Amino acid sequence: MANINYRCPCCRKISPDTHDLARHYLGQTDKKHKDWLKTKGLSYAQLITWQVTEFGNKGYEALAKVLEKEATKVEI
Amino acid sequence: MSEYSIIGKPTRNVDGPAKVSGEAIYTFDMVLPNMLYGKLLRSPYPHAKIISIDTSEAEKLQGVKAVITGKDTPGGKYGLWRRFPELCDQTALAMDKVRFIGDPVAAVAAVTAEIAERALDLINVEYEILPAVFEPLEAIKDDAPLLHDDISNNINITRHVEWGDVDEAFKNSDYVREDRFIYGSQATASTEVHNSLASYDKGTGRLTVWSSTQSPYYLQLGLADALKMREGDIRVIKPHVGGGFGGKNSTMPDSVNAALLSMKTGMPVKIVYNREEEFTCTEHRTAMNLAVKMGFKKDGTIMAKEFKLITDGGAYTALGPTALYLTGTYATFPYNIPSYRYDGVRTYNNKMWSTSVRSFGATEAQYATEIQLDRAAHDLGISPIEIRRKNAMTPGYEAPGQYKVGSCGLLECIDKVEKRIKEKWTDLSKDEGVGFTTFAYMCGGIFNWIDTPYAFSGAMIKVNIDGTVDLFTQASDIGQGTNTVNVMICAEELGIGIEDIRLHPADTATTPVDLGAWASRETMMNGNAVKDAARNVKEKLIEIARMKLGENIVYDLEAKNKRIYLAIRPERGFSYYDIVKDAIKLNDGEPIIGVGHYTPHRKGMVSPAWAFGSMAVRVKVDREIGHVEVKDVIVAHDCGQPINPLGVRGQVEGSVHLGLGWGLCEEQPTDNGMVLNPSFADYKIIRTRDMPQIELHEVLTHEPEGPFGAKESAEGAVGPTAPAIANAIFHITGAEFSSNTLKPEKVWRAIREAEEKAKKPAKR
Amino acid sequence: MKKQLKFIVNGNPYDIWIEPRLLLVQVLRDELRLTGTHRGCDSGTCCVCTVNIDGKAVKSCSVLALQANGKEVLTIEGMANGPKLHPVQEAFVDNWAFQCGFCTSGQIMASNALLKENPNPTREEVQHAMDGHLCRCTGYNMINEAIRDAAGRLQAQKSEEKAK
Ligand code: FES
Ligand code: FES
Ligand SMILES: [Zn+2]
Repeated sequence: MANINYRCPCCRKISPDTHDLARHYLGQTDKKHKDWLKTKGLSYAQLITWQVTEFGNKGYEALAKVLEKEATKVEI
Repeated sequence: MSEYSIIGKPTRNVDGPAKVSGEAIYTFDMVLPNMLYGKLLRSPYPHAKIISIDTSEAEKLQGVKAVITGKDTPGGKYGLWRRFPELCDQTALAMDKVRFIGDPVAAVAAVTAEIAERALDLINVEYEILPAVFEPLEAIKDDAPLLHDDISNNINITRHVEWGDVDEAFKNSDYVREDRFIYGSQATASTEVHNSLASYDKGTGRLTVWSSTQSPYYLQLGLADALKMREGDIRVIKPHVGGGFGGKNSTMPDSVNAALLSMKTGMPVKIVYNREEEFTCTEHRTAMNLAVKMGFKKDGTIMAKEFKLITDGGAYTALGPTALYLTGTYATFPYNIPSYRYDGVRTYNNKMWSTSVRSFGATEAQYATEIQLDRAAHDLGISPIEIRRKNAMTPGYEAPGQYKVGSCGLLECIDKVEKRIKEKWTDLSKDEGVGFTTFAYMCGGIFNWIDTPYAFSGAMIKVNIDGTVDLFTQASDIGQGTNTVNVMICAEELGIGIEDIRLHPADTATTPVDLGAWASRETMMNGNAVKDAARNVKEKLIEIARMKLGENIVYDLEAKNKRIYLAIRPERGFSYYDIVKDAIKLNDGEPIIGVGHYTPHRKGMVSPAWAFGSMAVRVKVDREIGHVEVKDVIVAHDCGQPINPLGVRGQVEGSVHLGLGWGLCEEQPTDNGMVLNPSFADYKIIRTRDMPQIELHEVLTHEPEGPFGAKESAEGAVGPTAPAIANAIFHITGAEFSSNTLKPEKVWRAIREAEEKAKKPAKR
Repeated sequence: MKKQLKFIVNGNPYDIWIEPRLLLVQVLRDELRLTGTHRGCDSGTCCVCTVNIDGKAVKSCSVLALQANGKEVLTIEGMANGPKLHPVQEAFVDNWAFQCGFCTSGQIMASNALLKENPNPTREEVQHAMDGHLCRCTGYNMINEAIRDAAGRLQAQKSEEKAK
């Protein structure tokens, strides 16, 4: 059975789930990754701030939600 | 196993006679013929664009030989995280803008230091002041001024680590608590300031640099990157060094600019920082902001931990990301944490950059962990010692995907300190309390962010006809005693005496690469390399001895006490000295050369081994004025097999001293990016009258990865010191602290708050 | 205008002309090239630069060289007796009383002066006398022990001399 995977909208990274992809995404510091976020109405600063000041994975969860909709799904 | 003849015996420092007689030469003491003196012009603004620099007046001053600005440099970018080009963010001099008060913009070489200093006043820099940002969480905001054009949100690096089901584990916990902490920075304050002497050889185009550095190799790489030269054309020599404490790992402007000025003038150039530059423009401990959450079972068993960290990066990268990384790792030490989540970010801002300071990561993480643990123990009605014993790491512990623990004597250390508290501190007054903590520390890092293709450490040995040995290693003795350790290891392995060995340390032209003195790596890494090189020599000698004995291959030979003999019949053998002569003669007169190296393998991502320990402090608190006196300290310490007990004790004593400073009096307040206390008069370091005695117990373990079973001893005892004090105060007054530097005012306030709280009906 | 400075350093007479503004530490290090005396600050706050003048411990960065005119200066280079280390030096080595060694010359020179004044100091007396001496490496305890060990060695040496 083919598995659904998600491709990062800004690079070639493929992740098995959107949470993992969000982790990858917020670890990138280049302009491309940051700018795409803006076009989706998200702020890189806000996501990181959530992630490092509040307990839990709030930053990742917010981004994962968006990636669920926006990331290209690939079957592997 | 046979008894060691040298390892484990208190041994005098091989540099001792030189250091007590003023003969040890530091870079600070060096003068070359025809040498010029260099000085740096530094930015008075935290953030500004350089519009123009006029050096013409300075150049005219008699005695000035060269003035350089960013334009005169090759503009090479450099840094310690070389694997990542975007993190190589430093240049010799500011290229277009300055990023902190003290960022160097020009350098002058003159025939005297005074003339160079006067020339600085004659340089005219026109700045356009830019908005500056100083707070890590301000710097991250979308509208904050950017320090580096290509780095948005000033985010230097982020990190996330997670194992186990954290949220589920919190749900299943009986008791969960959250605490927040803020730490200030700490100066390294080595007694020898940063200084370098560079000499450019016009004939060959090669450069020699003597520098007060912790890592000749890192400096060689930094210079090569900055100057766009080949590594091999740069020779870095580390003379005796007057202390490092983590602040001398980076390539600093003194060495790069001394090199540039020497290349320009064709004369040797020396740059020496003054004490104010040392306090304001050299690397300091990372200030942090952190939030910690721990979940427990009723019986005190830790279920889960969350750790959120923001570090105050300053203007450049250096080892700052390593501090971020290690703090998140140490937050899990030395306890069994079944599920863990860590998020960290390091941001740039317009201050001098922060980096490693002795026990970096561990000191910061342990302060939070150990304080939180005592608060939890208090609420759960468990003793501080019991809660630690319950959760202590044991040999073979593994953190999934992160690190592995080999030997671990933590439980023995806890027992030992507990026993000594009961025996020794039977007469506590009502103003005295006991704080109990545990600790762990790494034995060098496995990570290779510097991106070296070499083994992490190497060593070379040449054996001379009379049996004397020349040992070549790049390990950096900066006072910790590595030179002595290496000579001892070499002597033990070869079965010879310390007096037989001449050490040639820390010269990149003559010694194989070693990554330098940081993360307590030298005994583990260079020690292993030296042992390997000595084994290499020994094998050659044993081969000759075996031939002469005509013995069957199944019989082992041993080298010990200057003899090489049959292990089962020690009387059958030869003098080491005779075998050396035979070996050289039989091999066409070729000298005996041994080489060795070490790189950790299959040991996880962090460190090949971990040292452990436990500490108790006896503290007296003056409730009226908030004064805290540390009266006594007990430490039990598992550093594997101590190589040199004298050196180990020295390291523990020094570590506690630094920990006391961070805990009680050292701080670096800033105002708009300006350090407010840049002198020994204003920056308080623990002096001898405030230093308690330390009772040290070595708990012997054998670390399979370490040379002769040895582990680290140089940094571990920094971390547990400050939280032990805070815990002692908490136990007798109820005062809770969320920061370090427990000055009387802070303590007084916390005691008052605790008293207020006690008056109100309890809610918990 | 240069001024004449006549003094004795480590038993050797010197007669030199110097800028009057020069500090003693500058003359020792830069003119006489006695670099065993180090310098840790610019403000007289670390005692790293301590030497003995007429037997007393003095911060050589806090006096003008000319203030030593006609006096006897002893620096770390003058402590040993030929190839034989002074008992204080021996005690420092045996007790691991230094690490980087940068503060050590000052510590030893201050110890030398202290032990002349108080041949048998207690731990507290040593702490009191040495309090200005900054050491970033050792945590002081092993220095303290070395000084008291040296006291014993000096006394033994004295009684030996008497016996002769
Ligand atoms: S050099 Fe610091 S007191 Fe003299
Ligand atoms: S031994 Fe390094 S400062 Fe004292
Ligand atoms: Zn991506």
